[in-house]
Amino acid sequence: MQTFFAAAVSVALGLLQGGAPAAVAGDLPSFVLTIKEHQFSPAELTIPANTKVVIVVKNLDATVEEFESTDFHREKVVTGASEVEVYVGPLPAGRYEFFADFHPTARGHLIVK
Amino acid sequence: MLATMIVIFREVLEAALIVSIVMAACKGLAGRNFWVSFGISTGLAGACLVAGFASTLAAAAQGMGQELFNAAILLAAVAMLSWHSVWMARHGRELAQQAGSVSAAVVAGTRPLYALAVVIGVAVLREGSETVLFIYGIATSAGADSTGAMLLGAALGVILGIGAGAALYLGLLRIPVQYLFTVTHWMIVFLAAGLASQAAGFLLQADLVPPLGNAIWDTSWLLNETSIVGKVLHTLIGYVARPAGIQLLFYAVTLIVIVAAMRILAPRAANGGKAAAIVAGTFLLCAVPPIFHGDARADFKVRSPIVDYREIEVETNGALTTRRDFGETFAIGAGVLPWWLVELEAETQAAPGERLEYAATTLESTFQFTPQGKYWADLSAFVEYSKAARHGDPDTITFGPLAQMETQEIFHSPMLHSANILFEREAGSASSGRTGFSFAWQSRFRIDPLFEPGIEYYAAIDDLRHAGAFDDQAHRAGPVMAGLYSFAPYGKIKYQIGYLFGLNEATEDGVWRWRIEYEIPF
Repeated sequence: MQTFFAAAVSVALGLLQGGAPAAVAGDLPSFVLTIKEHQFSPAELTIPANTKVVIVVKNLDATVEEFESTDFHREKVVTGASEVEVYVGPLPAGRYEFFADFHPTARGHLIVK
Repeated sequence: MLATMIVIFREVLEAALIVSIVMAACKGLAGRNFWVSFGISTGLAGACLVAGFASTLAAAAQGMGQELFNAAILLAAVAMLSWHSVWMARHGRELAQQAGSVSAAVVAGTRPLYALAVVIGVAVLREGSETVLFIYGIATSAGADSTGAMLLGAALGVILGIGAGAALYLGLLRIPVQYLFTVTHWMIVFLAAGLASQAAGFLLQADLVPPLGNAIWDTSWLLNETSIVGKVLHTLIGYVARPAGIQLLFYAVTLIVIVAAMRILAPRAANGGKAAAIVAGTFLLCAVPPIFHGDARADFKVRSPIVDYREIEVETNGALTTRRDFGETFAIGAGVLPWWLVELEAETQAAPGERLEYAATTLESTFQFTPQGKYWADLSAFVEYSKAARHGDPDTITFGPLAQMETQEIFHSPMLHSANILFEREAGSASSGRTGFSFAWQSRFRIDPLFEPGIEYYAAIDDLRHAGAFDDQAHRAGPVMAGLYSFAPYGKIKYQIGYLFGLNEATEDGVWRWRIEYEIPF
C-alpha cells in the first residue's frame, strides 16, 4: 500500500519537476489578447501551427470575463483588471473561434498557420 | 576505457535481464539449464556470424536488411514469449503447487522450454552482434586511446552486465514460490509488449508501416532511453521516450492478445492477481472513479483534472447493470480557487428488486497542479471523504491522481485521453481496514463539441490484501459518447453516455452509465 502511494507521488512530482524546465513560459511564443468594453482586441489572432503557445489574456474592464473556446477546448476566467495565461496548442492549421462566456457577443478567432 | 565499459555494459545488460527473467520463470522445470545454455551459446555464435556479415546484411533488401532482420527476430521472440505466457497460465497453478517435486518436473515437460531458448538466443544474438562489432572495431582500430585499455573496459562491461542479470535472477528467486511464477509471468508479458514495440520501431525505420503520429509523448526530459535506468525500463516494460503511434499500437495489441489468449485458453488462470496489481499499479498512471463493490456502489465516471475556476456545476451520474443494480448520484460543486474544486455529493442505490436507498454523503476536492496545456499532460490530485448513510456500512476515504492529455495526430483527429488512479480506504467505526484500488481510462475523439465518441476501460480491485486472480477483480470496458452544448452566457450542459461490457467472471454482463452536468460561471 505504502509502496503504491510512494510510487505514485514520486512519479507525479517527477512529472511536475521535469516539466517545469521544459516548458517555461518564457520559452514559448507569447501572444497578447485584450478584453476592453467586452470586446476582444485583436479579434483575429494568428499563431504558428503545431506549436505550443501562451496567450496572455488581459482584462482591461472592471468586471470579470471568461475566455472560452469549444474549438480548441479551453475555458478560463479572467477577473476584472487582471490577466491570465492560457496554454494553447500544438494545433493543426485552421481557424478556431473563441468567445467571452459572460458576453457572448464578443467573439474572435485564432488563425493557425 | 570507462566509456567503452559503459557502452558494453548497457548492451550486455539488456540481454542479461531477459535471460534472468526467463531463467527465473522456468525455475524448477526440467532441462532448464540445458535449454538456457543452448540459447546463450547459439545466440553468441549467431552474434559473431551477424557481425561478420554486417555490411552484407545492411545492404540487403534495398538497404533495409538490418531493420528487417531485427524486426523479424524481435517478432519471433514476441511470438515465443506469448506462447510461453499462455502455456504458463494454463499450467502455472499446478506448477506453483508442486514446484520442486519430481512429479512437477515430469508434468511440466520441456515443450515450452525450447521456445524460451529461442527467446534467449534472440536476445543474446541482438545485443551480442552489436557488442561483437563494437569490440572488433576497437581491436582493429588504431585509435588514440590504448586498445588494451578499451578491451579491458569491454571485458569489465561484459562482467558487470552479467553480474546485473545475476543480481536480478537472485532477487527474483527470493520471491516466495507461489508468487514467483506470477511475477515473472507478468514481467514476461510486458517484456513481450516492449519487444513488439521495438520491432515496430524497426519496421517504421524500414518504412513498412505508417508512424501513426511521431512522438506521441516526449518524456526524454524525464528519463532518457540511453541512460542506464532508461535502458532497464526499456527492456523490462518497453519504455520509449518519444514513441511513434505504431509502437504504442504494437505494444497495446501484444498486451491485449496475450491477456485475451490467457483468458480464453486458461480460464482458471494462475494466482496472479497480487503480482499483476503490483506490476500494473507501478506502471500505470491514471485514475478510475469509484469502485464497484459487491454491495452495489456503482457510479462510473472518468473525472477530469481541470478545475473551472468561478464556475458552479450541478451533475448527476447514474448506472444500471444487467443484473438490475442501480445507482444515481447528485452533486453540486464550485471552482473556488483557480486550482481547487470542491463538491458535495449525495449517493443513492437500489439493489435488484429493492427500493432506492440513500447510501452516502460525500465531500470531494480536486487540486489542479498544472495549468491546462502547459505540460504534456494535465495533472491533479483528488481526495474525497464519504460518509455512509446505512448502518453498518463503512465510511471511505478515496484519493489519487487524475490526468488528461490532448493529442492531435493519432488517427488524424484531436483526441482527449483521461485517466484516474484511485485508492479507497475504509475508515471510521464500521471499517474493516480494507484498501481498494481502481483505475479508469477514457479516450475520445473530439470531432464535434456535441458528439465526441470514445472508449473507456474501468478496473477495480475490491481489497488489495486479497487481490485475487484476474477473475476476482472487476474489469469493464466499452464505448462512450460525450458532448456539450453551450447556452452562453447562461452556462452549458455536458453529457456522457456509455455501455460497459463486463470483461471477467466477477462482473455483470453489462452496465449502462450516464452523466448529465450543468455548469455556469459566477
